[in-house]
Amino acid sequence: MKRVVPLEKALDDTIFGSKAVGLGQAIRDGLPVPPGVALSGSIVEAVAAGEQPAIKEVAKWVEPLGGPLAVRSSAVDEDGAAASFAGQHLTLLNVPSAAELGSALSKIWWSANSDSAITYRKKVGLFTRPSVGVVVQALLDPDTAGVMFTRNPVTGADERVIEASWGLGEAVVAGIVIPDHYRVDRSGQVLERKAGLKRVAVRTVPGGGTVEEQVAPELVERLCLDDDRLQELNRLAERCEQVYGPARDVEWAIAGGTLYLLQCRAITQAGR
Amino acid sequence: MTPTGGGTKLRFEPPGPGFWELDPVHFPRPATRYWTEVHPGAFQRGTSEFARSYGMLIDGLGMAYVNGFAYRMVRPAPEGELPERFKRAEEVFQKKYWRQQFRDWNETFKPASMKAHRELQSVDPDGLSDDALAAHLTRCRDHHAEMLYQHMRFTAAAVVPTGDFLAHVGDWTGLPPAELLGLMRGTSPTSAGASAQLGQLIAAIRQDPRAQQRLDTEDDPGSTLEALRSLDRGTGAAVSAYLDLVGYRLLDGFDISNPFALEQPDALRRAIRAAVAGKVADASDVEGRIAGVRAKVPEKHRAQFDELVEEARLTYSLRDERGVFSDIWASGLMRRAVLAGGRRLAAKGRIHEAVHFVDAGLDEMRALLSGADEPSADELAKRCEYRASHSAKEAPAAMGTPPPPPDLSGLPPAAGRIMRAIGIALGAVFGSSEAAHEKHMLRGLAASRGVYEGPARRVSHPSEFDRMVKGDVLVTESTTEAFNILLPLLGAIVTDSGGLLSHSAIVAREYGIPGVVGTREATERIKDGARVRVDGDAGEVTVLG
Amino acid sequence: MRGAPVEVLRRVPLFSDLTKREVQQIARLFKERRFAAGETVVQEGSGGAAFFVIVSGEATVLIRGKKKKILKADDYFGEIALIDDGPRMATIAATSDLVCYGLTYWDFRPVVEANGVIGWKLLQRMAKMLREARED
Repeated sequence: MKRVVPLEKALDDTIFGSKAVGLGQAIRDGLPVPPGVALSGSIVEAVAAGEQPAIKEVAKWVEPLGGPLAVRSSAVDEDGAAASFAGQHLTLLNVPSAAELGSALSKIWWSANSDSAITYRKKVGLFTRPSVGVVVQALLDPDTAGVMFTRNPVTGADERVIEASWGLGEAVVAGIVIPDHYRVDRSGQVLERKAGLKRVAVRTVPGGGTVEEQVAPELVERLCLDDDRLQELNRLAERCEQVYGPARDVEWAIAGGTLYLLQCRAITQAGR
Repeated sequence: MTPTGGGTKLRFEPPGPGFWELDPVHFPRPATRYWTEVHPGAFQRGTSEFARSYGMLIDGLGMAYVNGFAYRMVRPAPEGELPERFKRAEEVFQKKYWRQQFRDWNETFKPASMKAHRELQSVDPDGLSDDALAAHLTRCRDHHAEMLYQHMRFTAAAVVPTGDFLAHVGDWTGLPPAELLGLMRGTSPTSAGASAQLGQLIAAIRQDPRAQQRLDTEDDPGSTLEALRSLDRGTGAAVSAYLDLVGYRLLDGFDISNPFALEQPDALRRAIRAAVAGKVADASDVEGRIAGVRAKVPEKHRAQFDELVEEARLTYSLRDERGVFSDIWASGLMRRAVLAGGRRLAAKGRIHEAVHFVDAGLDEMRALLSGADEPSADELAKRCEYRASHSAKEAPAAMGTPPPPPDLSGLPPAAGRIMRAIGIALGAVFGSSEAAHEKHMLRGLAASRGVYEGPARRVSHPSEFDRMVKGDVLVTESTTEAFNILLPLLGAIVTDSGGLLSHSAIVAREYGIPGVVGTREATERIKDGARVRVDGDAGEVTVLG
Repeated sequence: MRGAPVEVLRRVPLFSDLTKREVQQIARLFKERRFAAGETVVQEGSGGAAFFVIVSGEATVLIRGKKKKILKADDYFGEIALIDDGPRMATIAATSDLVCYGLTYWDFRPVVEANGVIGWKLLQRMAKMLREARED
């Protein structure tokens, strides 16, 4: 059984976790996902346990990705549950190179096995042992990034809800800023544009890690996305729904002028 | 208005024909009887006047109180007057009528108001006989009514040029109102008069080390202010001049049930400290920002852009001044007189507490001062309790049949332009300025449904998690995975930042607890242990009690 | 090499009744975990997932906000999590950078179920320690 595969070859979510398989599917369907590799739950566990052969194998696969890396957990039984596990599992941005990957994987394994993860699992009705795969990709340096729900998560309305901020999408996911808030209907018509208060941006630091930077005053309340981008995001939402089904939680980023898909998973308990 | 007892459900019926909309923004709780008697007439007179003088297609607004809750109605202009109104709208833009009003305000109305305020303020109500106090209350009420009318009369002047600017420039550039309003900064502060007193206060304190020292101590704030007043060498005089200017302004709201500044010396002291410590806001970058926005405007509209910006900036100061120098001050003066009456009646045992006197109407106040039996002490106490225990949430959002939405497209250009300017202004401008009055309510994004009341717990970091107790409301800057272990304990979540798709919003929805995110300043304004109500449907957090 | 070094675990009083073989069996289930100074390692009241042995660094034990004890190299904590995943009874906060080896409940249970002797010995040792603690 292969324990590391290129992302587009991740097919079994019981081995690689749903994030990896989801992204693999996206690549296979021609969606704009940054290239990467998928690590199985068992090899992540082996690396966290200190097994040298496992560490070497992972390094071999990751080296070709080059410079800074985005390392994301891909838990094996998340998506079945009625919960999004939002923020439960780590995303480690800007791991400088394959050499530092071992400690990154150890952190990810522990985040899946932490007290808070276990408490959360029990609360949402999962009493089995966690297993966490990992997705490693080349790290983007986006101008703008954020999250899009292809259905309104509060009202359940059939519209896209988009939240955006400057720099890495971490600022939106972790709620560090009040992001811009947009609503777009299926036909692409913009229903709402509300500028947020985006005082900081999360950006990569050479040599590893990320930092929160002050945003220039004139950009704090400037809209990140114009109507053209909103249309592009709407089309991406449509394609995601075609590939995965309705009610998707999409993480996206715009880097070097290109829109990328970083993550796509089910919205949970939408519009209760 | 007939308040009912605690357990009975309130009945709501339209106060008259037409379509009435609840105003929970300005009146989140029921109003006092006094207010419901004095406000509607003044409000209608003032709004009718601005509507006519600006050629609007409405005859102003009507106001009515049902169970103490405020309902507003738009009164359509009589059809026969429409041609005249259309003509008037054209003239308004041709002659820039707001400039005339701005002049009137600065040269006539504001100085006259300040003179009247100071006259009433110079009377010490505690020193008056019962009869003299009754007469004084009447004079204060009449003054208050006139000031309420004045506030509304100048509404269009304050708002039409700004709304006009937002409408046009918004269309040309796609920039949101919040960013465009930023171009208004640096317009002359409140008024030459106000900044003079504050400026002198700041200068006096900075030059006087005794004052600085006194200001910085953590003593009882009331004694701090007294001590500052009593300093010699001009410092005390500067402090007194400033306190005389702002001391009787209501800190919050409009009704006489709200405290004026001198009743909350803590707030005053904080304001003075902030002023003394603060840097002068640098308005020089506004020119750059205006240029930046201008660059986004298509070339053929730039001349008009320049004109619109100038008009908007000119009258922007009127926005706050028209309230602060009119009814906000007059209401405080009324309250001061009412409290004086309440104190003497409470001392005699005629009412249970001095503050209950604010729940009497003016005629009732006069009657009680001359020894009448009604209303009883219990009745006044009941009214007070009613106001504290009910909120606009219980009131229906509207009553009566809504009219069809107005079709602006068929209107002559000037008339349409006026209506649009007012419409946008009501949305962007009123919202942001009046929200500043709501010291006890915060707004954010409605992230997770439901309403919950409980004690707020300010927790910023996992090292503080120990302080969390089951049933608490988490109030924090933003949440991370580490906070998840608190979730089983929480009744609700409130954050400063974050959007509907952020971690805190998502986990609140999943845990099924009310959540309000992106409030901007929850951690600054909500004290640890304060009882709060989190309304995840409306996106509001209210500090109770 | 997988897991924690055997010598590290043999110094831990909780394992003093186990044979070298038995310690080896458990040792390979451990994984290294690091905490930064100031980090909360375990939160009182939270469900518990793992048991930890300290290799280097220092941590403080807090119950209801009150400091009770300081833990150092060769000390351990969270052992109840090996038996039941109920609420943590204290908060443990790293006062310096901390290097630990941790063993999760998931990994421990199958070993005990397969080899009842280990479980029994640990229970006995824990009961003894509890009795001694109560007499303090």
